Amino acid sequence: MKLSTWEQDGVVVFEPKGKIMGGPDASLLNDKLHDYIEKRMSKVVINLAQVDWMNSTGLGILISSYTTIRNNDGELKLANVTDKIRSLLTITKLVTVFDSYDSVEDALKSFK
Amino acid sequence: MDLPVFLGEPNNMDKPTISGDTIKIPSTLDYLADVDMFVENLLRRYGIDESVIADIAISVSELVNNAVCHGNKSSPDKKVTVRVGREDSSVKISVADEGTGFDPDGIESPIADENLLKKVGRGIFIVKSLMDSIEFKLSDKGSLVIIKKAV
Repeated sequence: MKLSTWEQDGVVVFEPKGKIMGGPDASLLNDKLHDYIEKRMSKVVINLAQVDWMNSTGLGILISSYTTIRNNDGELKLANVTDKIRSLLTITKLVTVFDSYDSVEDALKSFK
Repeated sequence: MDLPVFLGEPNNMDKPTISGDTIKIPSTLDYLADVDMFVENLLRRYGIDESVIADIAISVSELVNNAVCHGNKSSPDKKVTVRVGREDSSVKISVADEGTGFDPDGIESPIADENLLKKVGRGIFIVKSLMDSIEFKLSDKGSLVIIKKAV
């Protein structure tokens, strides 16, 4: 997994690429998300367009970030959820928890 | 005069070892990606649809995570062994650890309202959802989990 991040209008966009399955790569994503949260950057979009798949470790990172951000009065939104990840979110009922958008642009607009 | 130090044979068990349809790794998540590459490459050679390969790969990653962390408790002396087999119209994969076993029936439902926001506890549930069957063979010398998926 590779990870890039950028900011626009006070929103941080995370763009992981590859597979989120646990191990060192997943720790990097988890640590980076929590770094931003600690810096009070509490508006976050995760662009999943280039994530081939994730497992329960990836879902765990999403949900723990979601709850931490929400506890800091922020919001975490998902963009470009692929069919494979959507089916996992559906199986685990997490689809009911996350706000998801068809594009990063739409997700960014939702913060305004 | 300093005598040369005899180091013996290189200890290959610190790295993944591959033999035919089997990969064996030390108990660390650093090698999850190696297992994934090994399994996906074999499945691709069988000509299996990419979406099914992803479902199997997700399931294997869950079982290896469990075997390393819960089965072997990340003990450096213990190994996790993954074997990929092709039957007539299905793929069969076994994941073995050297831990003291666990109770698969003791896992709480991750989709219960009170568990929905928990960080962990979805692995086996996801495997059951994605695979056609999952079988646990547990003993005090290790756990063997066998999954099957029609292809």
